[in-house]
Amino acid sequence: MKLAVAAAALALLVVSSASPAPQARLTVFAAASLTDVLPKIDRSPRYSFAGSNQLAAQIQQGAPADVFAAANMTLPRQLASKHLCSKPVVFARNKLVVIVPPTNPARLRRVADLARNGVKVLVAQPGVPVGTYTAQVLRALHLYERVMANVVSKETDVRGVVAKIVLGEADAGFVYATDAKAVRDDLKVIAIPASAEPGINYGICVVAAGGHAGDARVFVKKVLSRAGQRKLRSYGFVPRR
Amino acid sequence: MKRSVTAVLVGAAAFVALAFLVLPVVAIFLHTTPSHLIDQLSSSVVTDALVVTLETSLIAQALIVLLGTPTAYLLATRRFRARSLAITLVELPLVLPPAVAGIGLLTAFGRSGLLGTSIPFTKAAVVLAVAFVSSPLYVRQAIAAFEAVDPDLVSASRTLGAGTARTFFRIVLPLARTGLAAGLALSLARGIGEFGATIMFAGSLQGVTQTIPLAIYAEFGAGHFDAAVAMSAVLVLFSIVLLLTLRFLLSWPRSSSTRSWFRFGPSTSG
Amino acid sequence: MAALLLDEILVPLRSFDLRLTLEVDRTVALVGPSGAGKSTILRAVAGLVRPRAGRVEVAGKPWFDAAGGIDRPVDEREVGFLFQDYALFPHLTVRQNIEFARRQTAEAYLERFGIRHLAGARPGELSGGERQRVALARALAREPKVLLLDEPLAALDSRTKAIVRRELHDLLSELDIATLFVTHDFEDAAALADRVGVLVEGRLRQIGSTQELVARPADPFVASFTGANLLHGTVAETSNGIARVRLEDGTIIATAEPAEGHVVVAVYPWDVVVATEPPHDSALNVIHAPIRSITELGNRVRLAVGPLSAEITSESRRRLQLSAGEVVYASFKATGTRVLSRAEAAP
Repeated sequence: MKLAVAAAALALLVVSSASPAPQARLTVFAAASLTDVLPKIDRSPRYSFAGSNQLAAQIQQGAPADVFAAANMTLPRQLASKHLCSKPVVFARNKLVVIVPPTNPARLRRVADLARNGVKVLVAQPGVPVGTYTAQVLRALHLYERVMANVVSKETDVRGVVAKIVLGEADAGFVYATDAKAVRDDLKVIAIPASAEPGINYGICVVAAGGHAGDARVFVKKVLSRAGQRKLRSYGFVPRR
Repeated sequence: MKRSVTAVLVGAAAFVALAFLVLPVVAIFLHTTPSHLIDQLSSSVVTDALVVTLETSLIAQALIVLLGTPTAYLLATRRFRARSLAITLVELPLVLPPAVAGIGLLTAFGRSGLLGTSIPFTKAAVVLAVAFVSSPLYVRQAIAAFEAVDPDLVSASRTLGAGTARTFFRIVLPLARTGLAAGLALSLARGIGEFGATIMFAGSLQGVTQTIPLAIYAEFGAGHFDAAVAMSAVLVLFSIVLLLTLRFLLSWPRSSSTRSWFRFGPSTSG
Repeated sequence: MAALLLDEILVPLRSFDLRLTLEVDRTVALVGPSGAGKSTILRAVAGLVRPRAGRVEVAGKPWFDAAGGIDRPVDEREVGFLFQDYALFPHLTVRQNIEFARRQTAEAYLERFGIRHLAGARPGELSGGERQRVALARALAREPKVLLLDEPLAALDSRTKAIVRRELHDLLSELDIATLFVTHDFEDAAALADRVGVLVEGRLRQIGSTQELVARPADPFVASFTGANLLHGTVAETSNGIARVRLEDGTIIATAEPAEGHVVVAVYPWDVVVATEPPHDSALNVIHAPIRSITELGNRVRLAVGPLSAEITSESRRRLQLSAGEVVYASFKATGTRVLSRAEAAP
């Protein structure tokens, strides 16, 4: 019996001392659409790219991120209101576009064509920022019900939509202009009327649980700097001003 | 003195291991009150996910049994040159990462793939993805079960005037029954939990292709943590039932022959 | 026309080829060491093994003909096969096992083999002897043209064996089916078969009635297999038609058969007379030694005396009050020996 207690005590000791020690590298959680550009601005951090909503949920559960760069301001603001990160600032803007496979199998020319019968449309899941923007665009164009009826899959992030359109698995998908630009040779783009474009503001904040507040702020400065903004522009993002 | 130090270390390791395995499962049920969890279960996301999972799993497992049983019997009873290769191929999806399986299915059956079908994004795609990743679990077990049937019993049946079909259904199948059921339980468990291949090949659409694992991920991402927990709890309960069934089956008195029958996988001799 | 004919059957086995021509009309036993290919022959007749060449004919109809491309499937051959471990279906009752062969006759066979009271039992609950009876009933329920038995008595303990052997003997006598069985025990073969064939390394060394095999073994292996003593030695001198052979331990044996050089002399245990006093008859060979061991074989007894095995009746043993360690005289006539040359002696 004594042995059992000793064993359990030893085990708890080992486990409790296994909490992560602060490490040198920064951890940046960023929206999937930032996959290509952020590492070009700063190569050193560890990046986790996914749908912004997934990342926000992970931060809520205590994930040890240092910086959160989301594809909207809503998610960082939610975290800030819970004191999970600092007050977010806009660091880039984007546009929504429709992409179709290079062969354009459904012969789509305008956004309205997506409402045609039998067209296979891909969007992101509702909580993902690009999914919300898509809904906004469709409502603005009064196409929401008809196009949503043609949706065959709601992907977990925008890159999933891109990948499947490039493969030719579906007829059309809603993605960021920056994603379309990244693989422009592998697909065709259908522009969305400017009047229907939602305001897409990317927000960045320093996560409270990170433990590298100083370095995190340095990173944010880098992103907001002239050099950082130039890089973003070269990848198709619209500058924040 | 040395003895008790070893004992303490071993005990500590065991404690950590068991706690690690048990904690996540228990925590799911301690998250909120049972009534709150049950409330979540009535939401449309959850019920749709349950229905999609049930439908696709049952069809997938039926396909696996229908096609996998004769395959396993062939591989168990015939010795031919390419036998080890055939068995390796059958076991391949077992070690393949699900994402790779998804890619494979797309390149084979995608619209722009080898066969150019319109299967992606349909329920059929879910069935295929589930069947692909879980079939090795059934087939391996089936091969072992068939191998354990005493060949003399098969010979005896033939000498008593029974053809191959009658021999299979009246002698081989009843004797291999428990092994086959165990394989099916394993395959079912794996299939229900499938995520990577499904989301790649079938996508995710509520009521059509969104299975429970996909729904859990989506609800988590949408900030509906409680719904995700509720569905997880359902899966945990189902898994426990499955596991208990498996253990019960495995403790069934051996009736096929004096040879031990429960091996993990087919014999590689011959 | 033989009831069962195996003609030039050829089955390549792991270390040798099995070649056999055999006619079976009543009961034939194949004996030989394990690995000689005995079971393979039974399986070839049943169709479980496909010979590379040869023919199998039953009542004139070809069941297998390599040259003619005939190979009747197993289930179409009317055989009754008794497997070594009986191969009873463990998940079926005794009745269901027999019904598997033929529904209509099941009841009759349960009755005939005296296993009616076991009809509802599972094979796992039966004793060895009971299982054998069920297996036989099942094999015969189909009224086969050929009965094949694989080591029918091997799985039984010695007490059950004696009983079952007698039952089997009676059964085979009243059945009119060509029966071929294999065994490694010559006693069993002798008890049950009309003719016995000795199979060694895939070849039939000799086939004939038990008496022929014992009286005139074709080679030392057959001789040793049928229980003869084999004495190795060198011919020391020959005179008056009697050759004197010096054995390895120095004993001199006299044999009436022509011999020279290194020889093997075969002496049958039942040709050896055991007495507690020196013999007064014409026997030239007398061994005076203690009894090393006594083995009881039913109503007979085998005694190991010096380099010899002698076989006498239990009655005689009791009369002479023989026990182990007692010094006796074991004698045999020079004419009661057979000489086998060393060349033949390699089994």
